[in-house]
Amino acid sequence: MSDVTVEKPLPFADAVPGAVIEGTETDVVVNPDKLVDFALFLRNEKGYDYLSNLAAVDYQGYKGRTPEDRFEVVYHLFNTKTGGDGMVMRVRLPEDKPELPSVILVWPGADLQEREAYDLFGIKFKGHPRLRRIFLWEGFHGHPMRKDWKEAYYEQDHKPYKSRWPEGHYAWEEDRAPWADNIIYPKGWDPATHVDPPPVLPKIHEPPVTVEHIKTDRIVVNMGPQHPSTHGVFRMIVALDGETVVGLEPELGYLHRNHEKIGERNTWLMNIPFTDRLDYLINMANNFGYVLAVEKMLGDKAKPPERAEYLRVIMAELTRVQSHLWAIGFLLNDLGAFYTPALYTIEERELILDLFEAVSGSRMMVNYMRFGGVKADVDEDWLKTARDLVYNRLPAKVDEFDRFLTENEILKERTIGVGYLSPEDAIATSMSGPMLRGSGVPYDVRKARPYSIYDRFDWDIVTNDGCDVYARYLVRLGEIRQSIRILQQALEQLPDGPIMNKKPAYVFKVPAGDAYAAVETPKGELGFYLVSDGSDNPWRYHVRSSSYINLNALEHMSIGYKVADIVTILGAIDIVLGEVDR
Amino acid sequence: MVGQALFILTAGITLLMALGVVLARNLFHAALFLVGAFFGIAVLFILLEAEFLGAAQIIIYIGAIATLIVFAIMLSRHVMGKEAGAYNRNWYFALAGVVFFFLLLGWLLIKMPFNLVTAEVPADAIAQIGQGFVGHYVVPFEVASVLLLVALIGAIMLARER
Amino acid sequence: MDLRAIGESFIAWLEGLGIPQGWVLLINWILGALIILGIALLMALALIWLERKIAGRIQDRLGPNRVGPFGLIQPIADALKLLTKEDITPADADRITYNLAPAIAVFHVLMLFVVIPFADKVVGANINVGILYLMAFGALGTMAMLMAGWSSRNKYALLGGFRVVAQLFSYEIPIALVMMIPVLLVGSMNLNEIARGQGSLAGLGWYVWIMPAAFLLYFVAALAEGERAPFDLLEAESEIVAGYNIEYSAMKFAWFYLAFFLNTWILSAIATTLFLGGWQGPFVDQVPALGVVYFFLKTLIMFLAFAWVRATFPRLRIDQMMAFCWKVLVPMALALLLGSAIVVKMGTELNLPGVVTNGLMLVMNIVIVLVTLSLLGRYTRTLHETKNKRLFSPELPRL
Repeated sequence: MSDVTVEKPLPFADAVPGAVIEGTETDVVVNPDKLVDFALFLRNEKGYDYLSNLAAVDYQGYKGRTPEDRFEVVYHLFNTKTGGDGMVMRVRLPEDKPELPSVILVWPGADLQEREAYDLFGIKFKGHPRLRRIFLWEGFHGHPMRKDWKEAYYEQDHKPYKSRWPEGHYAWEEDRAPWADNIIYPKGWDPATHVDPPPVLPKIHEPPVTVEHIKTDRIVVNMGPQHPSTHGVFRMIVALDGETVVGLEPELGYLHRNHEKIGERNTWLMNIPFTDRLDYLINMANNFGYVLAVEKMLGDKAKPPERAEYLRVIMAELTRVQSHLWAIGFLLNDLGAFYTPALYTIEERELILDLFEAVSGSRMMVNYMRFGGVKADVDEDWLKTARDLVYNRLPAKVDEFDRFLTENEILKERTIGVGYLSPEDAIATSMSGPMLRGSGVPYDVRKARPYSIYDRFDWDIVTNDGCDVYARYLVRLGEIRQSIRILQQALEQLPDGPIMNKKPAYVFKVPAGDAYAAVETPKGELGFYLVSDGSDNPWRYHVRSSSYINLNALEHMSIGYKVADIVTILGAIDIVLGEVDR
Repeated sequence: MVGQALFILTAGITLLMALGVVLARNLFHAALFLVGAFFGIAVLFILLEAEFLGAAQIIIYIGAIATLIVFAIMLSRHVMGKEAGAYNRNWYFALAGVVFFFLLLGWLLIKMPFNLVTAEVPADAIAQIGQGFVGHYVVPFEVASVLLLVALIGAIMLARER
Repeated sequence: MDLRAIGESFIAWLEGLGIPQGWVLLINWILGALIILGIALLMALALIWLERKIAGRIQDRLGPNRVGPFGLIQPIADALKLLTKEDITPADADRITYNLAPAIAVFHVLMLFVVIPFADKVVGANINVGILYLMAFGALGTMAMLMAGWSSRNKYALLGGFRVVAQLFSYEIPIALVMMIPVLLVGSMNLNEIARGQGSLAGLGWYVWIMPAAFLLYFVAALAEGERAPFDLLEAESEIVAGYNIEYSAMKFAWFYLAFFLNTWILSAIATTLFLGGWQGPFVDQVPALGVVYFFLKTLIMFLAFAWVRATFPRLRIDQMMAFCWKVLVPMALALLLGSAIVVKMGTELNLPGVVTNGLMLVMNIVIVLVTLSLLGRYTRTLHETKNKRLFSPELPRL
């Protein structure tokens, strides 16, 4: 300890004594024993009511780290009322006992994120009511995001493919262990006496009104993973009382490919096309979030030129328009509208995808943005088409959807009052995007912490106080209009100039440190938490997935409604499994 | 000739279905046999040129009563299981009751003097039935409907959430 | 040319061959049944094509266009594909019930064809209790779906089965009540008589002009009876996947599909017979064969209306569907039936001319529609005011 730290007292030392170990006003390392007290203090006194991101990092072998502080759990907190840069709270944990108290009672939105950290890192959150694996199956051996976990085929000593090892270095597991003996059972596990654990059942919420004499049976239905309305391979275990939902448990992981682990193996640049595969409907926004995070670590030398900034905003807003069109169309499909509205919205979406294809070469896997710029410039033809779309076609079409859908009696009947989520609950469960603004919370990352050049445009945050599916639908419709406003200004002001700040490099090193950057995608806040050790690939690559975290409130929103409603509620969250499962 | 053969065939099938109701081990199957028996009776009515009665038999017994029975069975316990047992400890009481009732019926059938009238079926039998309901037999008809209404309200009151 | 004459000459020809009369009748019956069956099955293929094409146009796409001219052979190709697919019976299913259900589903619809008058007196069986017969065999369809839902041993199928009972039972009541109104006017349950009763005033005698409210009610209730959007809750794809027929594959599924389309056609045919004048049309008295053309044209228009609604509307929820039936349709149907009975009785007691009775009926209908719509508006408005419609809401865990 140097003299400087002695002179300067630790922040918040008088509020919660002994909680802060070191740090500054906005970035503190917290003692795990005092975590909940300190978290409560931050939430109640400091107004950090929104737990945006919770990420675990394994620092085994990182320079300057010992087994005593091998694991670190990072909390990114924000204030939904004032906006601002928020604060970072870190908890360091030893290798032999990675345990810390859960903050689920302070911020209920920590629920799924803590389960993710438990699943992938083996960090135990004491007090979490259902700390089970979430992506991997219960029998999975080890925690794959730990640095000492070797991935089969890729990181292990022997490789399975003959063709890749012509010299004969390969060894098949079956050759080494003969048939039927090639299974290694965990210690203390005997297949003869093994009894399958009981299947996961959702927690049943008893209705307050009970019928005295009539006893009804509940049936548990697995909605998914093969179900037309779960938007991919997502499963909801639903307990039904007649048609009323009394319990719901989301089950994920069917599309889990450990995106973050692969991201650590890739170089920084290789991760850009990889982010396209996250939420495959909003690829431009994914690119945007990732390059922002890396540029934050690279500092001023990677600042993109003006034209590139404008192009990024144009692409991001076009993405928002097409994603919301898709969401609206398929919300109607979930309501049973037999594809008609969906096909009409898809028609407009295709026009936007044509623009993407023209500029990047691909409709969806765009791979467009680069650190310090964008990959390709747009020409005058492209701008002409885009202007025509933004000034003439899209506004008229949005009005048309508004006219046909908004006042539809059945749509209103089915969505108003359905999926109620109060503003307090929305903030507490870390909702973001239209979910949050549909509950009347005017929180948008573009306004709260303006990134890129969003502060130059004139636009409004769309909110609606309905707190239901209809409100989310209206917010989406309104956001399309606002995006068109931004697009019109951006296309008007688009300056000439270079699109990259210097010659692009394939491999480069990023200074050691960590950074969290978030963008407002159509689905919500998409954040990237990156840790670099100064090498040419990330030490840790964490995605704050809005689709995933928005599922926090699914159970809370769905209880007490009918089966048909939970489909609508899920549709209004607008999840994409590529991003949920990662 | 043909009519007689059809009658015997239908009656036989109906009897078999009725036996099935009693003997089926699965409650749901029993209910389905019941539907078959009702259908056979409807066919018998139609063979007797009582088309109205036949149609009414299908509407009321198959369309309403049997469907409700099936629905009730579907709602009851172990509906997804293989067996829904048809027997309980009191089956011999039921057997005694049934045998007694059967004997009574047989005795009645033998003792009852049936007045057989051989006359043409009136062309507008339905109209006559309708006029009978709201004319000559209006009081019993209305009493029956009030009884049903009371039963309906009673059922609602019993099942209502408080 | 009279279609009836063809049958009679055929019978005469058979008798001329020296076949005893009992056998002649039997042959005649069997042939008639086969003809109706053939018409029904061929028509189903055409209807499937038509509905897909119409839905395609409504949804801004082409619809089937690969197999044959305008994709006309598409349904046949689909049927062939379904024939060659694996016929799956779930291991736990109740085999007999499971296999019987699709047969009953088709059987009940085909039975309904028997009493539909395609032209004057061109009826499979011209029975007195035609309408009662329609209702009776309509109820049998419920049974088939229930059997399918239960025997599949699938939870979605079971949920679908529950919905079948809830929906089809409820909507049978308004549809039965409203079908009684033309019976009141004509004084017969014979469908041919009802069609004939609408012949006056050169098309203005159709009951759709005299009692538009009844027709409207029939149309809405028929949407529910035919499992069509916005009442397709029985097989709601986005909720319970396919409801009662989720486990069915190959030809057994095709039978349910067939029953579904034929059912819609039957509902259109009933609407035509009861409200659109059946086979009535210009010059039908001189050329009775024209009746068939008129009948099929009108039925087709009704069918297209069904298809149009299906491609346009989202689905109602189950409680809304039930509330709509019991709180709107049933009272409206009761009011209509009562009003019609009073008007008809007034007409006969006071010896009013037919035009006056019809005018009174029209006024009564319009009044009932207006009253219902205003009540409906108020009812939905109250629903909109309740912000949180869920039964109960659990609390989030908080400190």
